[in-house]
Amino acid sequence: MSWEEFKPESFKSAETYTLKHLDAVMLHFFEDCVNCGLCEVNCPYTAAGEEYGPVEKAEPLRRIYRPHAQILPKLFPWLFGANSPKSKEELDKWVEKAYRCTNCGLCYVTCPFGIHSGEMIKVLRSYLARTGRIPTLLKMMIDTEASNTLLENEGLRKVWEGMIDRIKAEGVEFNKKNTKYLYLTSLAEVMMTPGSVLGAVKFFKKLNLDWTMPDKPLSMRAPIGSLAGDDEATTIVARRIHEYIKEINPEYVVLSDGGYPYTFFRFDLPRIVGEKPSYKVIHIVELVGEALREGRLKFKNAEEKVTWHSPCKMGRIGGLIDEPVEVLSKVSSNLVKLKSHGVFSKCCGGGGSIACIVPPTQQVMEKVMGVSIPITGSEKVFLDKLYRDMLVAGKAKVDEIRESGASTVVTACIGCFHTMGMTTQAFGVNVKLKMLSEFLAENLE
Amino acid sequence: MDLLDFAIYVAPPLVVAIFLFGVGYRIGRYIFFWRRKPSALRRQRPLLKLFIGLIKTFLDPLIQGFKYRKGDFLGGLVALHILGVIPLIFLLGQHVAMFSYWIPFYLALRPLAIPSSITSSSLTALANVVPSSDMSWTFVNTVWGPLTVILNGDLLAILAIIGVSYKIGDKIVRLVHKLGNARIGDWYALVLLLAILVSGFMATHHLPSGETGTYRTVLGIHILLAELLVATLPFTKFWHFVFGYWYGKLHEWYDLKYNRGAL
Ligand code: SF4
Ligand code: SF4
Repeated sequence: MSWEEFKPESFKSAETYTLKHLDAVMLHFFEDCVNCGLCEVNCPYTAAGEEYGPVEKAEPLRRIYRPHAQILPKLFPWLFGANSPKSKEELDKWVEKAYRCTNCGLCYVTCPFGIHSGEMIKVLRSYLARTGRIPTLLKMMIDTEASNTLLENEGLRKVWEGMIDRIKAEGVEFNKKNTKYLYLTSLAEVMMTPGSVLGAVKFFKKLNLDWTMPDKPLSMRAPIGSLAGDDEATTIVARRIHEYIKEINPEYVVLSDGGYPYTFFRFDLPRIVGEKPSYKVIHIVELVGEALREGRLKFKNAEEKVTWHSPCKMGRIGGLIDEPVEVLSKVSSNLVKLKSHGVFSKCCGGGGSIACIVPPTQQVMEKVMGVSIPITGSEKVFLDKLYRDMLVAGKAKVDEIRESGASTVVTACIGCFHTMGMTTQAFGVNVKLKMLSEFLAENLE
Repeated sequence: MDLLDFAIYVAPPLVVAIFLFGVGYRIGRYIFFWRRKPSALRRQRPLLKLFIGLIKTFLDPLIQGFKYRKGDFLGGLVALHILGVIPLIFLLGQHVAMFSYWIPFYLALRPLAIPSSITSSSLTALANVVPSSDMSWTFVNTVWGPLTVILNGDLLAILAIIGVSYKIGDKIVRLVHKLGNARIGDWYALVLLLAILVSGFMATHHLPSGETGTYRTVLGIHILLAELLVATLPFTKFWHFVFGYWYGKLHEWYDLKYNRGAL
């Protein structure tokens, strides 16, 4: 289905599918919201319009659930707001809301009732995916990843093979079975933040670890379908990666991307593949932290004023809040805190696939892949507005960076890295952006 | 039998029955919708940190509200919840008397009872006029002492009325700005609460007239409306203070802090 289509007959099956997500926790998110609006105060997208407050964005999913899960809304749907979209414009409005959420979880910790609107919006995306609304670039990546044909594109193959050649020179044995550590990177990480990959490799070598990595990309990033609510594609890719890991049989799977791949592999994968993993998923900063505590690593003292932007997925949702700060404080005596940090660290504004579909990214992808991405008129309007709103959503973080006076911002998520590249530039804040493993590796003694 | 007799002597068992059915229904749904899924290895964190994290999970929204939504903090939380309805519902002298009639052990809270007005408190606590019968005396001569000059039903009711009115005003503003953030359940809850507060205030002050029939009708309406709230509580957003709040925050703590270690 194309972006322009409006097919009410697709709504029924989309609804039936969406209802599968209604478990006890989702029931709480759905029914126990008192509509107080407090979640709005921290959502990065409220700045772009109050209609983008978390409760408002989760409302379409409540509309879908109500006539199925509650008696009075079934009898009086008009009174309770219980309906599917009535027109293309309404469906487009729903899409607009669903793509103004980075699933950062700030609403979750702000809500007096622990309601994670971001998770509801994620399910709303899966409803919309079934009505034909997945942004074209995202859909292209999902399909290529699910069919395992990423390297059939010459541009992407060049990017990947270029990196593999560099790593080969470091003497790694690819796909080696029964190693202690399996390093999992992705095509996106290799393409967007190669320094992050090379930094991680430097640590494996420096610590003299028994490690390996795949010589082919297993995914675009983590299953990218999970960002658009394409559960079938997500499951296919997740199973494939899980099987690969099992075949290698490592004790640890190590990631240097602290964005959604970290939470996906660490917390979501067991639920998706329906199996308790035989391996532990860690971020490279956990490995570095341990080596530092044991005195196996030493850093030079970096001169510059550094600050840490905690990616929502690694910090708030992934539980690694103190660890990166602890390690960074060993590298720089000039580490400054951003105004918002810890559990309430502000989101960069570009997560949940937003930064990866906005027009500037699209242009980069067209160049790398050597193809033109077919975008229809109304999708272009949608994407242009999304980009404007993303800059507004990201401004609070840029302001914090400016106030901190830091010259280098370190982060660990390629999405944050990419977003802050766009937002700091748009607001004229001149800072160096570094990925965590890259920054740490540069300062190794 | 008039409205008041009906509200006091006939309706309560019915109200409690509907309430209990509702509680069973709502909690039963959670059990019905619960699905077991393989979960990831949890991150180990020290017990003390987890405990502090639990307290913070409950405090954080209050801090956020205080920082970023002063109006809601003062109107919605302080006036409506903390000073308004919570002490008013559970500790107002008349309410303690009424609840004790149905639930005898509620009488244990009698020393904490709040008098209905500044006059009732000053007549007893300050002027020290001993009433002819013990009955009312025990409900106004409470641990609050001279504090009852400010801690009395009238003042608390006015604060609660301000709080509810603030929330109603907020919903109207949202509607006007087409934010859509106002559901039918909000109007039901807020208007019902306002009607209960106003009718209670009127009954205490023998408004609109001191004539017995009118008084009994107004008081009857007040009690019936309160009973309507209790009966429909499990089916409305009032459910938040029985279940939603506690479950929600505990779940969030369990998910983010206990499991993932985000402390
Ligand atoms: S803060 Fe929570 S209860 Fe309040 S509107 Fe947002 S989701 Fe609903
Ligand atoms: S998850 Fe983040 S972006 Fe999404 S609604 Fe919540 S606060 Fe907003």
